[in-house]
Amino acid sequence: MIEVEGLTKTYGKIKALHGVSFSIRSGEIYGLLGPNGAGKTTVVKILTTISKPDGGKVSILGVDVVRMPEKIKGLISSVPQENNLDRELSVYENLLIYGMLHKIRNLKERIYDALVRFDLLERKDSFVSELSGGMQKRVLLARALISDPKILFLDEPTTGLDPQVRRQIWDFIRKAKLEGRTVILTTHYIEEADALCDRVGILCRGRLIAEGSPEDLKKSVGNFVLEKLDGDGRLVQHVFKTEEEAYALAMNLGPPFTIRRSNLEDVFIKLTGERID
Amino acid sequence: MNWYPIFFREMIILKRRLFRLGYIFSTLIIPIIYFLVFGLGIGRGFRISETEYLDFLLPGLCALSSMNNSYTWVANSMNFYRLYSKTFQIFIQSPISAASIVTGEVLSGVVKGLFASSLVVIVGLLTEVKMNFTFPFLSALFLNCFMFASLGVVVGMITKSHEDTATYSNFLIIPMGFFTGTFFPIEKMPSIFKPFIYIMPLTHTNILIRKVSLDFSGLLSLFVMLFYTILFFWIAIDLIKNYSE
Repeated sequence: MIEVEGLTKTYGKIKALHGVSFSIRSGEIYGLLGPNGAGKTTVVKILTTISKPDGGKVSILGVDVVRMPEKIKGLISSVPQENNLDRELSVYENLLIYGMLHKIRNLKERIYDALVRFDLLERKDSFVSELSGGMQKRVLLARALISDPKILFLDEPTTGLDPQVRRQIWDFIRKAKLEGRTVILTTHYIEEADALCDRVGILCRGRLIAEGSPEDLKKSVGNFVLEKLDGDGRLVQHVFKTEEEAYALAMNLGPPFTIRRSNLEDVFIKLTGERID
Repeated sequence: MNWYPIFFREMIILKRRLFRLGYIFSTLIIPIIYFLVFGLGIGRGFRISETEYLDFLLPGLCALSSMNNSYTWVANSMNFYRLYSKTFQIFIQSPISAASIVTGEVLSGVVKGLFASSLVVIVGLLTEVKMNFTFPFLSALFLNCFMFASLGVVVGMITKSHEDTATYSNFLIIPMGFFTGTFFPIEKMPSIFKPFIYIMPLTHTNILIRKVSLDFSGLLSLFVMLFYTILFFWIAIDLIKNYSE
């Protein structure tokens, strides 16, 4: 459904993307995981037509996104990392203008449904600036859905939100998949990528360094992690294929130690020697 | 009609601001000051080619007000939507053309410019200034709003910060208001400056807006205004077409 090949992008002297390639299948939740500054938002901006790449090819449903952006704009919606709601308009007016721009039929009914679905009906006449961060995020999600998009881009959708709102957004993402939408999610939260994504692409400094299902990626580095503090108080980690191997070394080193299942951050550390912050 | 959502959005915001006393006051304050200082103060008793100075001044103030309001609102808005609120991303991601975005923004600038100049007209009528609402007057006013709103889109798209828009205003818009025939006839300017003055788009608004009927020089100014309008509008479309963050 989405094909990205050799994508490059430079901002001044900084090269944000160094030939990123991946493909996304219809109906899956694809996660772009990486630390801040890895290039995740740049990829999303290019795919959602607000940024032009310096090189490479990007196509959605076979349509070249750079050459014919107008052909795919009606199929996609996005929730950006930076809130781009119209602060001079009310919640209802935000949805109304967005719907008019996207030429949505039965717009008033669709806005009403979206307000009900995201529990915003009572705040429909409030200005965006009067809403909490979590509520603003719900307005962004409601706005993204009223055009009934085939593909949904969510750029760091839960950053800075409390755990309760985060869970609500996770439920929304799972529901979007059940509704048949393709979801592209960027995140630097390991547990978010682990819990939601069918496949994950790990980005580091503008390069895609690994790609696969969370399970496959974890298997590729080892399923068990032994953690122990060294003499200087630093956490040292060892990754093993089996739990027995981890215990064998742990017994040699002596207590205290922790053995746990590996996660995507372990994959990232193994591949880059850095942590995802 | 793909431009309509863009225009409608601006009208929602304008309607809200109209109910704030500050908006009407700030729209009127500059032309009123000019009217008092130049018209009733310095210019009292002056005549320009058999015309009372106030009768000469008021069409110029209409041109000045329409330019300021069309240009400033659009340039500041575009700059703000693009760099600060990021609302501009919504326009770019919508399945409408760059021309529709420009048309919506420019027409909203036209409404604001016409609103501001109509306030000046009301002041003129209240002070019994002679005004001719002829075809040249009305076409000059409309085209002036359209031209400077288009320029507003261009400046709003190329500026890199909010301060940048003020710089364009200080070096381009404000001097244009003083040296293009708003307050005194262009003929009074030294010859050496005249080529520069005739390059300025507001000069031609000031020529056309004072014509009772469309003679050769009025027609020439109309064409110059049309040229600038098309040029600014086309540049604005091109900038939006090639927009990239």
